[in-house]
Amino acid sequence: MEEPLDSWFKREILTHEGILMRFLARVWSRRDELPDIRQEAYARVYEAAQKARPQAPKAFLFTTARHLMADRIRRERIVSIQAGGENEYLNVLVDEISPERRVSANQELVRLARAFDRLSPNCREVIWLRRVKDLSQKEVAHRMGLAEKTIEKHLRQGARLLAHYMRAHVPPNRLHAPEVDARDDDEIEHGHRTHQAD
Amino acid sequence: MGTERTKQIDAAASAWLIRRDSGSWSAADQACLEEWLNASALNRVAFLRLELAWEDAARLKALGAGVPGDRPPPPGLWNLTPFFSDPHASGEVSAQPETGSKYRRLGRRRFRFVAAAMLLLVIGVGAYLELARSGELYATPIGGLASVPMADGSQVMLNTDSQIRIALTDTERRVELGHGEAFFEVSKDAARPFVVRAGNKRVIAVGTKFSVRREGNDIEVVVTEGKVRVEHGAAVHGSGVDGSADVFLTPGSIARAGDAGVLVQRKSLPEAEEQLSWRSGVLMFRDQGLGEAAAEFNRYNVRKIVIRDPAVAALKIEGNFRATNVEAFVRLLESGFPVRAETQADQIVLAAK
Repeated sequence: MEEPLDSWFKREILTHEGILMRFLARVWSRRDELPDIRQEAYARVYEAAQKARPQAPKAFLFTTARHLMADRIRRERIVSIQAGGENEYLNVLVDEISPERRVSANQELVRLARAFDRLSPNCREVIWLRRVKDLSQKEVAHRMGLAEKTIEKHLRQGARLLAHYMRAHVPPNRLHAPEVDARDDDEIEHGHRTHQAD
Repeated sequence: MGTERTKQIDAAASAWLIRRDSGSWSAADQACLEEWLNASALNRVAFLRLELAWEDAARLKALGAGVPGDRPPPPGLWNLTPFFSDPHASGEVSAQPETGSKYRRLGRRRFRFVAAAMLLLVIGVGAYLELARSGELYATPIGGLASVPMADGSQVMLNTDSQIRIALTDTERRVELGHGEAFFEVSKDAARPFVVRAGNKRVIAVGTKFSVRREGNDIEVVVTEGKVRVEHGAAVHGSGVDGSADVFLTPGSIARAGDAGVLVQRKSLPEAEEQLSWRSGVLMFRDQGLGEAAAEFNRYNVRKIVIRDPAVAALKIEGNFRATNVEAFVRLLESGFPVRAETQADQIVLAAK
């Protein structure tokens, strides 16, 4: 039986968010639009995958994002004389941007801990009691002397910020890694060549 | 970030997620959620993305196993928690941010642990080594761009060919800018000023956003939020009677400090932000001489643009360009200006057509 689409999507698409955002940030100068482009790209990939799951999910995601940006440029004539230049850099290969290497379990934990540390003290404590200590919302509210509504607000915000912080930054241990080597590792571990589909 | 629609969907998705986990969830609720998810793929992917983060958050348990009591450990001190079997220890931890002493502590205490803690030990050492690097050197190659999270919650973005060293102590957060350029988003901590040293100059902030670029003994500081003080080394050696060596900068300020003194330009915030477009890998030029633009490109690329003809260097250009794509920039120049490029192995020579 085929794996449910939602869990496939999380594993094959959402895990590339870190590198996708770095790629988008490099080619798109209006930073406040980056989350829109990301979510639109996700939605298009999801819709396509409902019909048929792409063989190379990561490459498909990046191609989709590139097309979206090209559409926006055509639609809005964002740049004046440098339209050519902008299109030019939409053609950079995905692999030009230091690719995500499969991160080890403890790197993931470090990333998670860092993301968690960036939350406000209250939000941090609420998430901790709920997710680590497994207390109910009521118990957390009681323990902290806060209204249950407030606890819910912290939980909602915590979920959104963790999603954002978890993938927003390059782990510093990668700063010195030569990009070419990292690319090769990435290819081997994923077992296929990432290429431009267009 | 993002436009209203994206934010709204994100807020709705998080509300669904938390409500579903709240313990009072009926079949009717589930049906409503499914209807919402099926209404648009944008809803669906926003929900899945938050759900993934939420599942990940449960893995904090792996790091929380050694933490006594119900409170989370102080920020930045995760790494130690698996090693503290002593229930009184967690309170002291925050007084030990200096990495050297942590390491010795770790070494001593390690022997007290039995095989049962083996898995945590492995995870903990990995996490520890990772975090300990904050006391080390960070560098980017030519054309590089990197983001460095600091243990105090501050963020550093390093531009091309740049090097910094970070040291956090009880009284000060210190960053040495060896060379290059960095943008700092400083988390508020009135007790520990954030000090960037560049040669004999110091730039000091409490909680703010600013960049520092160093070329030899000259620095350029751009402030986009909060207030920053520049201590100017040369004045300290000069007469310095009136103590006017310090210059205060507010958002929109661009200051250049050399050995002769400090020059401050007040610009609008968007103009100051434009100076920092490198953070997204883009160079922005407005009515700029080609000579200056070429010098800017040369910071990001090994293959340098060389202009010998002053008339060519004086041409005015405008536009946004990817900093590392010098070839595309040159092609555009050739197609739009009376300029001819000769590309060699390590340089591109621009001459009049």
